[in-house]
Amino acid sequence: MNLLPIAGPRATWALLWSEIRKLPGLSIIAAIVITGGSAAGLVAPWALGALVDDVSSAGADNSVIVKAVLLIGGAAVLAGLLTALGVMLVARVGETVLARIREKVLDRALQLPAPVLDKVRTGDLLSRVGDDVATVATALTDIGPTLLGAALTIILTAAGLFALDWRLGLAGLLAVPMYLLALRWYLPRSAPFYRQERIAMGERSEAIIASLRGSATVRAYRLEDVQLAKIDATSATARDLSIKVFKIFSFFSSRINHAEFTGLTAILVAGFFLVRGDLVTIGAVTAAALYFHRLFNPIGAVLMLFDEAQTAAAGLARLAGVLEMEQISSPPPGPGPADASIELVGIGHAYDGPLVVDGVSLRLEPGERVALVGASGAGKTTLAALAAGVLTPTAGVVRLGGVDVQALGEDRTRSQVALLSQEVHVFSGTLADDVRLARLDATDDEVAAALERVGALAWVRALPDGLATVVGEEGHQLTGAQSQQLAFARLVLADPPVAVLDEATAEAGSAGARELERASVAATEGRTTLIVAHRLTQAQQADRIVVLDQGRVVESGTHDGLLAAGGRYALLWRSWTGFKPGEPGGRTTPASAST
Amino acid sequence: MVRGVLLLSLHQATEAAVPVTIGIFVDKAVATGDVRPLIWCVVMLFALFAVLSNAWKLGARQVMRAIEWETHELRLEIARRVLDPRGQRTGLRSGELLSIATSDAEKTALVMRAVSIGAAASTALIVSSVSLLLVDVPLGIGVLIGVPLLVLGIQALSPLLTRRTSTQQEAVAQTTALATDLVGGLRTLRGIGAQHNAAARYRQSSQTTLRATLRAVSTAGLQDGVSTALSGLLLAAVAGVSGWFALNGRISIGELIAVVGLAQFIAEPVGTLGYASQVLATARASAGRVAAVLSSSPLVETGTAITVDPLQPLLALEAVSYKTLSNVDLTLRAGESVGVLCYDPRDADALLTVVGGRTSEHTGSVRVGGVPIDELDIDALRNTVLLEQHDTDLFEGTLRSNLLVESPSLERVMTAAGAADLIDELDRPLADRGQVLSGGQRQRLGLARALLAEPPLLVLHDPSTAVDAVTEELLAEGMAEVRSGLTTLVLTSSPALLGKMDRVIVLADGVVVTEGIHAELAESDATYQEAVLR
Repeated sequence: MNLLPIAGPRATWALLWSEIRKLPGLSIIAAIVITGGSAAGLVAPWALGALVDDVSSAGADNSVIVKAVLLIGGAAVLAGLLTALGVMLVARVGETVLARIREKVLDRALQLPAPVLDKVRTGDLLSRVGDDVATVATALTDIGPTLLGAALTIILTAAGLFALDWRLGLAGLLAVPMYLLALRWYLPRSAPFYRQERIAMGERSEAIIASLRGSATVRAYRLEDVQLAKIDATSATARDLSIKVFKIFSFFSSRINHAEFTGLTAILVAGFFLVRGDLVTIGAVTAAALYFHRLFNPIGAVLMLFDEAQTAAAGLARLAGVLEMEQISSPPPGPGPADASIELVGIGHAYDGPLVVDGVSLRLEPGERVALVGASGAGKTTLAALAAGVLTPTAGVVRLGGVDVQALGEDRTRSQVALLSQEVHVFSGTLADDVRLARLDATDDEVAAALERVGALAWVRALPDGLATVVGEEGHQLTGAQSQQLAFARLVLADPPVAVLDEATAEAGSAGARELERASVAATEGRTTLIVAHRLTQAQQADRIVVLDQGRVVESGTHDGLLAAGGRYALLWRSWTGFKPGEPGGRTTPASAST
Repeated sequence: MVRGVLLLSLHQATEAAVPVTIGIFVDKAVATGDVRPLIWCVVMLFALFAVLSNAWKLGARQVMRAIEWETHELRLEIARRVLDPRGQRTGLRSGELLSIATSDAEKTALVMRAVSIGAAASTALIVSSVSLLLVDVPLGIGVLIGVPLLVLGIQALSPLLTRRTSTQQEAVAQTTALATDLVGGLRTLRGIGAQHNAAARYRQSSQTTLRATLRAVSTAGLQDGVSTALSGLLLAAVAGVSGWFALNGRISIGELIAVVGLAQFIAEPVGTLGYASQVLATARASAGRVAAVLSSSPLVETGTAITVDPLQPLLALEAVSYKTLSNVDLTLRAGESVGVLCYDPRDADALLTVVGGRTSEHTGSVRVGGVPIDELDIDALRNTVLLEQHDTDLFEGTLRSNLLVESPSLERVMTAAGAADLIDELDRPLADRGQVLSGGQRQRLGLARALLAEPPLLVLHDPSTAVDAVTEELLAEGMAEVRSGLTTLVLTSSPALLGKMDRVIVLADGVVVTEGIHAELAESDATYQEAVLR
């Protein structure tokens, strides 16, 4: 199992930049407007400083007051307008870029080649498209505007300080190393605790959810006290870590106060001497002190949000990492499949080890129904995946309608052949939308027809909201058999000429299993079908049965023919149905398993 | 907590004093050029920051500690209620309960945060007001009326922002859930070539989220802009009036600076008060949800009888009707093993609910060892009847810890449960509620756990559906051996299991239709044959 790649800072920036560059006009205007908004905020302290000077100088009249009021008021209106507009424009750029990136990432994740997909941890992939996208989105929306505004205010205010007087500017700069030292003290100390805190919170949730999901078992086995002790312990650990990490944060915050004190005192003391030396006016010192005082909040904001910004950056790097992964290469266009036949020629396959499928050649004529039979580990599932073109064989060729699957490429292969795997997934959303994933433009009538064909329409209509019932994780819970029927309905809607079925029906119980077998036959009617038989009744209905053993074809023929031949299939059938040798092989005479 | 609030209030008071101190500094030191006041001013500023910094550090830590402890206690309280052996009647799904036990518990404890920052902000307001009034009464009153009006004006947009933000957050959550759902079903999608359709559906959702986000951000931007413009205009007015007063000599230059600085500062505590009220509202909503869980009544009433009569049948159902069941009679004598075949799975679910003592809404009588089930003490009931459900719940730990009992016969019982292959892996750590195990492994582990518990009456539901035929046969034999002499009730359609039962009861449409020995039923009853043949 490999972890997905994580992009380096350069690649991450390159991705962002390439997306921003796709919105050139908007980006430039947004940058200008938001900078203008911050700059307009500088006018007030400067005007106040000027007012202080004017008021203290002899012979000033009311006009200086009018001037100050007009300046401050005008700048306020301008700053307000530009800020409102700037925030909207910047968000438009940022959020659009993020939306495009998340769409790209999901697209890429969905298109990962099967061999790559089998090697990555599903949990990792899920957290990329889930948690990471959410983290970056939340950070961008919640802290993005604050961070950008604060950063601009800091830069422009520093420039303003220097514009007042370079010596006052230098005095203010004395605070910078202290801020940096505070950050350097804090980040490495807090980071491990934040990590531990997140892990502890995860464990706490795990303990709670395990108890809740398993509450029936907890109750049955009298495990309340054990589970409560577990929740108590994990919750206490998380609590203590949170308190600890906050303690570190409180020291950090203290250090920020020290930096504020240093900067403010430096400006005022420097101002004292500069005024005494007649180098600057009292008003300039006042303006400088007010400038610096109004920096307290934005600098605090940047420092406090530093952590979150780093987390978001890490999330973005993980998203960019997904985009660095291998893509399916599409072969040049060529002729399509001529008919609905499948031909496997000398197929061999190994997953980093011994051959699981070894020298299998098999041809399915259009419309033929062939069942694969064999003990577990005989290579049935692998052969099914190879025939469906989901796996690429290590030896041999798979031809669909006479064309090599390699030359067809993923999309054209998939429109020719569908694979229903053992994994049953009900997609969250309405039941109709779930089925419609197979064909987005299908009408409600077509969806209903597909459900009808697999015998699901009756129970679907009986659901609280019929076709519009919300199913999936948070919705109405379907039984295993119902979920499987949905998969068949999707197959009907996708309507490929060839179907490979490897679905497990054991969970459905006996009555449900027969229901599903009917649905399976209905869904594959008219299609060339290769079916992995998990129950031998599935084999019985096939035109031809192929028996696999250790990756090789050992027998092939019809149900009756193979029973008569008395080979491996006959043996399997007997042990499975419990028939003693010599008894007639009809399904109407079940045997007691106790004999 | 109280000390924490006092310290935070002190911190806010010192924050309010910073602009005043700047004014004094400029007035007394910078403007005069005397070194002595300069030294005094620096000392004053130093002392101010020392108090400011330490007050926050200590106060915030104390409040934080109080909140964390309270949250922890609340969380345990919720867990205790939810895990009550008599069940809970909240009607909430586990996901919702999880969010109540984590997020709502946290938000409820935020009441303390709202109170503490509210108190601190009020202190800051009082200090600022007194300072302003000391400088000039009409000016002070003007600022004190103007600033709250301003903040209220800005917050007029808040409800809209809150609404749009929550819409936006929902949209983000939905898009995220869609992505994980689609990737979770990736193999299913790939099998029918629906990845492009899935990507298209995600794109649609992503664009909807984008629009919701932009709407929310536009409101936020508007609020930012209005707040910037209004506070700037107020500053202009204050600067104008106090500048005019300073020009007329009514106030000093230092007082002018202090007034202007305070006018800027005062918006902060007023805004904080607004924020505190929002936190309080969130906390109230969460507290409501928490209270609903804590005050919910248990699902069933239990009695006080702690002994059952060993001479009476372990389980006796008489004319029981519940959901799909009607008038079901079922008696289990000691040492008997009985199979129940339900043609309709809903009958099986209803029967399990009744037998497990998880409902009080049934009619008819259910007796355990002669005692009506609702008169039995909950622990006495659980000591007598053990129900291992079809979906095996496992917990974090190892395979061994999930078996719950250390017994010398552990290996023998595991072999009997068809789980011999897991004996070597007993100490393997198990994460993620055992989802790493296959369905068959989980099922066999659950059976081993149930057998090891050796309950007088064991109730099993489809214990072998994910197990292959050979293992199922072994498991059926092993189970019969381990449970010999004990009473067992198995709801199943497996011929292997039914064949090992002393008798089989068949339920169709909620009523008992047949009863007999498996082998005989399989010979004579066509419907039965159809249901058990695999």
